[in-house]
Amino acid sequence: MNSHQPVNIIMIEDDEGHARLIEKNIRRAGISNIINHFTDGTSALAYLEHAPDGPTHNGPALILLDLNLPDMSGIDVLGRIKAGTNPLKRTPVVVLTTTDDKIEIERCYDLGCNVYITKPVNYESFADAIRQLGLFLSVIQVPDLPEAND
Amino acid sequence: MVRLSLKNVAVSDAWFNRLVIGAVSLGFLALLATGLAAYLSVQENQYHASRVNHTFQVEQAITDFLSAMDRAEIGRRGYLLTGVAAHAETYESARKRLSPLLARIRDLTRDNPRQQANVARLIALTRGDLPFMDQSIALVRSGQRDEGVRLFRNSVGRRAITVLRAQATVMMDEEIRLLAIRDAATARSIRLFYVTIATAGAILLLVGVGSIRAITGYTRSLATSRDELRLLNTDLEGAVRKRTADLQRANGEIQRFAYIVSHDLRSPLVNIMGFTAELESAGERLRATIARAEAEAPHLVDKETRGAAHEDLPEAIRFIRTSTEKMDRLINAILRLSREGRRQIMPERLDMNAVFAGIADTHRHQLDAKEIDFSVATRLPSIASDRLAIEQILGNIIENAIKYMAPGRRGRIEIRGHMEHDRAIFEIADNGRGIDPKDHDRIFDLFRRSGMQDQAGEGIGLAHTRALAYRLGGTISVESELGRGATFRINLPAAFVAEQEV
Repeated sequence: MNSHQPVNIIMIEDDEGHARLIEKNIRRAGISNIINHFTDGTSALAYLEHAPDGPTHNGPALILLDLNLPDMSGIDVLGRIKAGTNPLKRTPVVVLTTTDDKIEIERCYDLGCNVYITKPVNYESFADAIRQLGLFLSVIQVPDLPEAND
Repeated sequence: MVRLSLKNVAVSDAWFNRLVIGAVSLGFLALLATGLAAYLSVQENQYHASRVNHTFQVEQAITDFLSAMDRAEIGRRGYLLTGVAAHAETYESARKRLSPLLARIRDLTRDNPRQQANVARLIALTRGDLPFMDQSIALVRSGQRDEGVRLFRNSVGRRAITVLRAQATVMMDEEIRLLAIRDAATARSIRLFYVTIATAGAILLLVGVGSIRAITGYTRSLATSRDELRLLNTDLEGAVRKRTADLQRANGEIQRFAYIVSHDLRSPLVNIMGFTAELESAGERLRATIARAEAEAPHLVDKETRGAAHEDLPEAIRFIRTSTEKMDRLINAILRLSREGRRQIMPERLDMNAVFAGIADTHRHQLDAKEIDFSVATRLPSIASDRLAIEQILGNIIENAIKYMAPGRRGRIEIRGHMEHDRAIFEIADNGRGIDPKDHDRIFDLFRRSGMQDQAGEGIGLAHTRALAYRLGGTISVESELGRGATFRINLPAAFVAEQEV
């Protein structure tokens, strides 16, 4: 991943089981980066934008985002992250959700989501997808944030 | 309130009809009476005129007679005085006219006994007078002129003439009297005619005014009820619009509900399947450990533990798997239905023969493999509807027909179609295994199937088909008996009209 600073993975996923399965399979793919897990949009945004060890103030990150959150729609979170003034706007966002609605997918890409993955119900496919995502995570370049560069 | 006002219209309808018929009949009766009165008056008038004319004729005849008498007298006197033959001729010619004139007077007055008596007296007087006159002329002619003059001087003739004149005057007076009576009668009949005409006119006027008032009143009440109806209609349209909107809202809500539910059902399913897989891999590790323990320290492993690891655990996991897979399929079916319901309908003109040919081509392989005769009637009605939805509906039914053929019989699928007013009806008839009549409603329900369960399927196809047909403003029904094939009938509007536009 990034050569001089490890990339934090921020997972926003309300379902504990899904989160656990995703984490397990990412680890199985050999990814050892720190995974911060949040189960709702509010605390996730607070961490992303204000936490001293969060990505805005401390290093590059990659966001795994579920669209069905208890307190807000994942789409709102996506819109906020990708807004023109947000320092996080270049942070890669992988939408990982059960919804495979065409309109929803289009909306996410329109808002600036980088990858959209539908969680397959079949576990083998699911595990496979996550492992491939892990491989993907191991090769992509994540931009440094302005603050992080300073 | 609605029914009441409509009933009022109905009542006034019958009342109005009776009134109009009555008024028109009365008008016609008045006209008829007027015509009859006019005819009678004219008839009477004519009679009176002829009577008056007759009177004039009688008067004329009497005058003629008197003038002929005068001329004869003038001729006689001239001849007596001068002995010139021309005077004798004057006398003769006038004398000849007397008899016919008398006869005419008698004939004309034959209807009047009083005048007949007068005529008889006139004739008698003339007859008494004429021989003297003739004699005096004959005397002059034979040269005895003095004798003739003496005869004249006897003044018999003169007296006779005077009496005759008096008699004629009596007759004239009688005629004048008759004329007065007849004139009065004529005047009376004319007056009667005018009265009749006036009465009839008054009746007609009354009828006319009455009819106009009735018609105006009726028209006004009709206009009122029409306005009421229009209002009612508008209300009805509004109600229909509201109901359609309600239905669409309800439908939309159900679609959203189905969508959300199916998505929310999916999340736990992912967990169940995921952790089942984790369990399975953990079980494999356990089994390996047990196998090693059995090899190295057999006393540590009892029969139950081995059974649990080798049989119970895999069996439980297998059941969890098949159940979750089935649930996944069902959720996907609900999702598909919900998504289909939200798809925009794009109507276009469809050549149904081409559509069926396309479906047949899609299933050509199966049709050939099962040796099914597929025939489509020529010139099916064309419709304007959503191509994808129509293809899915018909494809589903044809797929079922292919799937549920009766064994041991050469398969046959027939497509027919016709128009009924503004709706197109398509029939897909097969000679397959058929459907028990008690299941005819059930087969269109989601996840419900009928008959022998020897073919793969979730019971989604026909539910989907019916939902699509409803969306297109159509209906679908089936006619079938077990073992005797099935005929699916799809009734579609010839041109799709979006509900929102109604």
